[in-house]
Formats: sequence, structure tokens, C-alpha cells
Amino acid sequence: MRTLHPRRRRFAVGVAGLGVAALALTACTTTAEPGDDTTDDAAPTGGTVTIAEVNELSGFNVATPTGNVDINNQVAYFTQAGFFYLDTAPEVVYDESFGTVELVSEDPLTVTYTVNEGVTWSDGEPIDADDMILAWAAASGYYDDAVFDDAGEQTAGNVYFTPAGSTAGIDLTSFPEVGDDGRSITLTYSEPFADWNLFAPTGVPAHVVAEQAGLDPEGLVEFFQGLPEGDEANPQEANPELRALADFWNTGFDFASLPSDPSLYLASGPYIVSEWDAGQSVTLVRNESYTGDLVPAFDQVVIRFIADSTAQVQALQNGEVDIINPQASADTLASLEAISGVEVQTGPTGSYDHIDLNFGSEVFADPAVREAFLKTIPREQIVEALIRPLDPEAEVLNSQTLFIGVPGYDDAIANNGSADFAEVDIEGARELLAGQTPTVRIAYNNANPNRVDAFLAIQASAQEAGFIIEDGGLGADVWGAALGQPDTWDAFIFGWSTVGVGVVGNPQLFGTGGGGNFGGYSNPEVDAIWDELVVTADPDAQLELILEAENLIWADHFGLPLFILPGVQAIGPNVEGVEYNAWQTGPIWNFWEWTPAS
Amino acid sequence: MLSFILRRVFVSTLLLLGATFIMYLLTAASGDPLRDLRESREPNRDELIRIRSEQLNLDVPAPLRYFLWLSGAARCLIPFANACDLGVNVRNQQVTELLPIALGSTIQLLTGATLLAIVFGIIIGIVSALRQNTGFDLTVTFLVFLMFSLPSFFIAVLLKEFIAIGFNDFLADPNIPPAVLIGIGLVSGIIWQSIIGGDRRRRITVFAVSALATSGVFALMDAINWFRFPGIGPVALPLIAIGIAILTTTLFAGLQSRRALVTGLIAAALSIATYFSVQGLFDISTAGTIIIVGSILTAAGIAVGFFAGGYDRGVYMRIGGVTAALSFIVIVIDRFMQSWDDYFTDRSINGRPIATVGASTPTLDGDMWILGIDSFTHFLLPTLALVLISLASYTRYVRAGMLEVLNQDYIRTARAKGLGERTVVMRHAFRNSLIPLATFIPVDIAAVVGGAIITEQVFSISGMGQLFIRALSNVDPNPVMAYFVIVAVVVLIANLIADLSYAVLDPRVKAPQ
Repeated sequence: MRTLHPRRRRFAVGVAGLGVAALALTACTTTAEPGDDTTDDAAPTGGTVTIAEVNELSGFNVATPTGNVDINNQVAYFTQAGFFYLDTAPEVVYDESFGTVELVSEDPLTVTYTVNEGVTWSDGEPIDADDMILAWAAASGYYDDAVFDDAGEQTAGNVYFTPAGSTAGIDLTSFPEVGDDGRSITLTYSEPFADWNLFAPTGVPAHVVAEQAGLDPEGLVEFFQGLPEGDEANPQEANPELRALADFWNTGFDFASLPSDPSLYLASGPYIVSEWDAGQSVTLVRNESYTGDLVPAFDQVVIRFIADSTAQVQALQNGEVDIINPQASADTLASLEAISGVEVQTGPTGSYDHIDLNFGSEVFADPAVREAFLKTIPREQIVEALIRPLDPEAEVLNSQTLFIGVPGYDDAIANNGSADFAEVDIEGARELLAGQTPTVRIAYNNANPNRVDAFLAIQASAQEAGFIIEDGGLGADVWGAALGQPDTWDAFIFGWSTVGVGVVGNPQLFGTGGGGNFGGYSNPEVDAIWDELVVTADPDAQLELILEAENLIWADHFGLPLFILPGVQAIGPNVEGVEYNAWQTGPIWNFWEWTPAS
Repeated sequence: MLSFILRRVFVSTLLLLGATFIMYLLTAASGDPLRDLRESREPNRDELIRIRSEQLNLDVPAPLRYFLWLSGAARCLIPFANACDLGVNVRNQQVTELLPIALGSTIQLLTGATLLAIVFGIIIGIVSALRQNTGFDLTVTFLVFLMFSLPSFFIAVLLKEFIAIGFNDFLADPNIPPAVLIGIGLVSGIIWQSIIGGDRRRRITVFAVSALATSGVFALMDAINWFRFPGIGPVALPLIAIGIAILTTTLFAGLQSRRALVTGLIAAALSIATYFSVQGLFDISTAGTIIIVGSILTAAGIAVGFFAGGYDRGVYMRIGGVTAALSFIVIVIDRFMQSWDDYFTDRSINGRPIATVGASTPTLDGDMWILGIDSFTHFLLPTLALVLISLASYTRYVRAGMLEVLNQDYIRTARAKGLGERTVVMRHAFRNSLIPLATFIPVDIAAVVGGAIITEQVFSISGMGQLFIRALSNVDPNPVMAYFVIVAVVVLIANLIADLSYAVLDPRVKAPQ
């Protein structure tokens, strides 16, 4: 064999190497993009609005406990149509372009829900009775027959769907009657239910849940009809098909990034998810199959996940986002106001702090001591110091059950006796104490600066009247558990948040043995009112009952609401029509009214 | 050697088990995972608490829950079984899905930052060692420690304010006022004269030349609206390539070596030829193309050095290769700059290119050049913040290492034989001064996977640091544990590598028996 001269061999290797490189090169190129300006041509005409959100999307079924978080609800608000939405009051506003809710009869309470003809999911499947039945089945716990022992351990039977909301009220319904058109259902309640108008049988697409659970989507209504109602007195073996269905409903829509199967994020509303850049942003584009009236002006909505408030403010300033809704603080507000061209809106939120007295503690057994203690609480001073710097129009909250601005609030505060506690009355408190010096241990979360400041103000004021105040401040990790141990405190400063609508939440705060009634308050008259309230469907009658209870609660010196937490939202120069909203949907509540700035 | 490695691996495994156990207990004890539910006023609060307790096994005491977690995590060791179960977080998301996303962002952010910090740390450390106790040394020391001491969120806010928002505002109407031009020139003059040093006359000359040159360049850039339409172009690029060739030759061989200079210049000429021939190819390029073209060019540069031959063949090959590689980087930068205007005018950028949050612009699409610029504008600030913070430790290590080496007898010997200062520093001192780095660079690179908690938070990059801190604030042990295990394993491996490499690099240290 002829051997190559070393230099030639080197040359040959070089040529071979070049050949390999050339091959690799051709494999590693893309096709040329037509024109040099492709990005501009593809851009949509109606523009994009970008919103900053603190948390990242984590799922598409907001009716489950894990899915029911702010960001998921926001994406659902953009992508899911429904029978109604809540405005800033908040009041229910019906969306007749999706369907109708008809109160057929008040006694027995009967409601018919009808989806309009031609309303479909984004895959073309009509939204009809099976979707509504699934939502109802999940919300009502109709099929559950689980038995629990005293320790809360399940001993027999099944819990199928685990909804985020309470089944109370919806569980009064019998199996819905399905209309002949196949897109209406009628719910009949065995007793009137106060918050019936806040229930809507909408949710995730039933045909997708059925397919994923291995059931026939066509026969879903019949399948549900064929199942017996769960009976706790007679717990059964799990129905495997319902179990599969419920399991998928419970966990099948939780994600860390956009699922490859588009049927898992179908839309029925004006927008549909088009992209989810994990950890960064989610992009919504127009849902082409949307036929409703809430048609937005923007072609695209981008929600960016920005956890840090300062980062949100600077991103707004730099034009990277258009709408922010950061945690309100004096620093945030000051830096927002320093930016030109940005509209800053402030107002209340749905969260409020209050001080509750422990009715089981010795010191507060005497109503006079309770009254004396409440008289010393400097609420006006606390609001002035903590809240007005952020929301100059903030007022002291004077009702235990209603929010400022909600219908009935003005009537409530005129009569409920809150006027007696409007101002600090040290003299009056001294007279009531008549020389006693009771010791009050006030517990609070000492990692929350507002609550620390409120405590210090109350301490200073109450000591003037002769109270001895013990500092019961607790760390962030333990104060929640301490709420449930009332023997460790006499008064507790903590917060509630509310969605602003609905009345059936009241009994659990002010009723005997209520889950949120940590101070052990108990008044049979109030309990009787609650019993009546939860089965009263008429809004005027509801308000009357609430006002009645309100007076009793104040007369018993339950405690005092302190202040509503302020909120702030800021809007960049590219968007018009954003309105402040204190409630859960935040600034996006009227997104279809937003317009690009001219 | 093998037994040493085996012993280390065995001990590390035990260590890891113990550490994860403690970590699990600490996380579980750090708070109340049901806190938000306890505050809820939903009527079905107890039911919600029950569901979450079941989802996260909260009814099992933490020490036993650890073993539940361990049994899932242990299945990750079974190869190809895909049985890995790191549990779910409080939102019922699989940790095995969250982890790669977080790891990807973190590596993207921290690799660049760490490499840049090492490169600049070495350069600044060596220069300040060579100019020990001069104004330059003291100023650098002051500045790096100032950056080191500033909280990173504060640096981040400043960077965003001045480099992102300020620079974007400047781009809307890019005009540098004459006072600023003079200021830039003065500052640059002061820096250069302190680096180059020498007697007073030389300092004044250096100051004047560099001040005038810098001001002049900025004035020129201002005049041709360079900040709005940046580019290097067919005129400046060849000049830069030749400049690189001269600089490389100066550092590696000294300009008196004609053969070295010619090698450098040939490599530069090759690069210039490449520049003119690849523009069409670049339009349809992917990252793979760029790497291949770059490798070929570098190989060609090395080949030039090889054929230059002679007793110093190795040095020539280095000169050719480095010149070609650096020139190629400039060519690539030039191509990115050609896409700048498309990027700048894209409607999702809207004339404000430097970003303050995130890793990319949502809804932006385009070729690799557009997307590359987008990554650059997003990672610029967080990278800068991380580099500024971590520069201090590298400069100090390198400076100390260099000073120690310069005081060694063999350096005195080298000087005594009449070697030039360049040869003494570059050939005899430089490499040995880097040996101490071998102990902590692997560990630093390993620490990359740990992310940067605060920097990720303020720049909204959802990396490992974010995964960790969010999970911790939710008292959510599963993501915390996943984070901890990944970081611990990588750091243990890096430590082993550091120990072994030290033994290889420094003959004074014997390989452990």
C-alpha cells in the first residue's frame, strides 16, 4: 500500500476536516426569513397590554383549592365567560351574551341557568348541560358520602370532588333538571339559600375531563343522572368512574408550564392562552370563537410574573408593563408618584384588621370591662397614622359585617352603636372600670408592622384608662395557630379578607361555635338571626337581618374593626379606561373597556 | 487515588443524608404551612385544611415525613426508570417539573456572570498587584469593596434607574452634552495614566492622549448617532482586528518578535476575510453555525502559528488562535449590532431596549440575532449586578496570589537573568498566581446552580433562588429539598474536583493517599 507523505497526509486530514465542517454548517443553518423586518409584519393590530402579577400561573381549574389563587383566577377571568361578573361595588352584573339566570320561583327556590345557543369552547364543542352538571356536581358535593370521626379522620365513604368553595347552600339542591335544548339546567333548593345568586354552574370543560378520565363525553349527563346521591348514613364503595372523573377534576389542571395538550386550557371567554413562558409570563390572544359582548380592544394580554414591588414600579417606569397592582406601601406610592405619565389610583381593599375580645377570658367576663377597653382603642389615630398616608380618603371601618361603600353600610353605622366608640373616651372608660386595673393580654402577629403599630397605640391609650396591657406579640409562624388557643390571649389583633359579596360567611365569624369565631362569642339571638339569614334569598330582607345582628354584636362589645388595608394600582401611558377595584379581580375587572391610548 | 475518591464519595453520601434530614426538619419547623388557611374566613376552612394536609402529608410528623420524601427521591437514582418523585408543592405542581425550569434560568443567568466576574477579577487583580499601593490599586480596592458591601437589591435599583431607565430615556434623543464629553475624557485619562504609570511626564502624556481619544471617540459616536444605530462596520472592524493582533502579540511575545507580529496580523487578515465572506451565511445562522465558523477560524489562526514555526511555535499558535478567536467575537458582535435597529423599532420593544425585569420580552419573535439581543438586554443588568458584587473576592485573591508569587525567589532569578518585565509577569508569574483560584473557582461554579436569591427576585428571573425562597416562605419542604439536594451534590462534586486539581496543578501538594 502506498503511504502518503506526512505533509500530504496532514493536507488530506485538513481537507476531510473542512468537508465535515461544511456538512455540519449546512446542517446548522436555518432558512432565510423573508424580508428583514419579519417581527413587525406579524405584529397584531390592536396592540398589547402588559400586566404585572406577583405570582406565577399554576393551573386552569380555579374551583380547586390548589387552583384557586389570584393569578389563576385572573387568567380565568380573561379566558372564561360566565353568567355574571362582579363590578367595583361589588354587585353582580349579568352577562346576557353568555346565558341567562332566571329565578323561576322563590319558594321552593328554583333557578334556571341557560347558556345561549352557539356559545362554544375554543375547540368548537358547545358549552351546555354537561359542563353545568359537572360544575354543579363539584360545587355541591352531591355524591359525597364520607364519614369522619371526631379527630377529622375519614372512616368510610368517599369525598369525590374537593372544591375550593364551601358546599354549604349548593348541597341543598337536588339533581338538576336538564332542559330539552340540552343547554339549560334548573336547580331546586330544598330550603332558600341566601347566596344563591353567587353560584354559577360554570367551570372546566366537561368533555375534556371525561376524555381524560376515560369516560365517554357524550353520555356524561346520563352518567351523572344514573348515579345515586351520596348518603353519609350509608357509605358506599367508591364508584371507579366518578372517582377517575373527580380525580382529574381535582388535580388534572395543575401545571408548572403550558401543557402540550391544548384541550387542557380551552377558553370560552374573550381571550385564550397562547404562550406560557415558565417563570416569566403568560400571553393571551383573542379567542376567535368568542361570540359574547365583552369584546376587548387589545389583541393581546401579557401577564408578567414580577414578585418584587420595586421591580414592578421600575418595570412600569421603563414601559415594560402597563398595569401594576403592587403591595401598597409608603415607599411604593412615593416612587410611583415621582414617575411622570403614570396614573396612580389608591383606595381600599377587601382586607381589614380588627381586634376581637375573648369572651372566655376572665377579664372580659364583665361587659363593663369590655366596653371600657373598647372605648380606649384609638381607631381614628391608627387610621391616620397607618392608612391615610397611602389612601388619604380612608375612613375608620364602623361595621363588623358590612364594608364601606357597600349598600346598607350607612344605615348600619347610624344605628349599630359604633358612634360610642368613634372617639377615644378615657374618662368614660375610667368610670366603667371604677378603679379596677384589669390585665389584658393582646396577641398579634409581630412580623406585621401595621399590627405592631396598632398594638402600641392601643397599649398607650388603654394604659391611660387604668388597663394593664401585656404584649402578647407572636411570630409569623405561630400566631395563626394561637388564634385557636383562646386561653393564651384576651384580645387578638388580626385580619380578615372578604370578597365583598355574600352573606353566608357571617355565621362562622359571629355565630356560636363558628370556625372564625375564635373569641368564643355566643349570643342566642344573633344565632337565631343567622339561622334565618342563610335561608333568606331576598336581598332587602337579608340586609334587615344583618343590621339587626350588627346592633346586637356591637351591644355585646364583640370587638372593633380597625381599618381597611389600602391598595394601589398604577397605569402606564399606553392604556386608558382602567378603574380602581378593591375586590378580588383587581384592576382587570373591566378589561373589555380598556383602550390603547391615542 | 481511587481509594481516596471512593472514600470521599462514601463520606459525602453520608453527609448528604444527614444534611437533608436536618434541612427537612428545619424547613418543616420554619413555619405553619396552613397559615393562609387559618386566616381564611371561608365557611369550608376546615375542609380546605384537611385537603392540604392530605396533599402534603402534614398529618405525618416531620421526621417520618422525611422518609416519605426520601423514598420518592431515592427513586431518582434508578437510571432511565423515570420514577423520580420529588413530591408536589403547595400548589400541587410537580417539583420534578419546576426544577428544570428553575435550573435553566439560573444557569443562563449565572454562568455568564460568574465567567465575567472571574475574567475581570483576574485582570483587575493582576493589574492592581502590579501597581501595588498606587492610586489605581487603592481606588480599585475601594470600589470593589464598596460594591461588595452594597446590598444587591440596592445595586439593582440603581442599575435599573441609571442604566435601564436612564439609558432608554437617553436613546429617545441621543445627544451627549459637551460637559459630559469632557467629563468622560477626564475620567478615562485618570484611569489610564494610573494603570500605565511611570514618571510624571509619561503620566501626563498618557492622560492627555487617552482623555482626548476617549472624548473624541464619544464625540464621533454622538455625531454619527451611533448609540441609536450602533455598528462596527467594514472600516472599524479591520482596524479592531489589527489592534487585537498587536495587543495579543504584545502580551504573549512582545512586539520586537517580528514573526509573532506577522502571525497575529495574518490571523487578523483571515478574520477580516471571514468578516466579508460570512455575512450572507450569518443571516441564516443558528448558534451551531456560529460555533462552527468560529472554531474553523480559530483553528486557522492556530494553524498560521503552527506554520510560522520556529522554536517558539507554541507561542505563535497561541497568538494566532487568540487573535482569530477575539476577532471572531467582534465579527459576531458586529452582526448583532446590524440587527439592533430591527430590535429597537419592534413594537414590543418600543424604543426602550434595556429591560429591568425578566429573561426575555414576551411576544417578541425573530431570528437568533433578534432573540440574542433580547437576551442581552435582559441579562445585562442582573449580570452586571452579580459581577459587581462578586468582583471583590476574585480581585483580592488574584492580587494576593500575584503579590506572593512576585516575591518568590525564582521571579528574582528571572529578573536577574535580564528578562523583560512582560516575560517575567506573563510567563513566570501569571500562571502560578492563579493556582489559589483552583481551589475556589470550581466551588463558585458549583454555587451557580444555587442561584442568587435576591438578584433573581429583583430582576424577576425565576431561577433556583426563587424556587427556594418562595417554597420557604410557603413552608413548603418539597421544593426546598429539591433545591438543597441539587446544590449539595454539585458542591460536593466541585469540592472533590478542586482538591484533586490542586494536587495536579501544584507539585508541592502531593496527591492524597
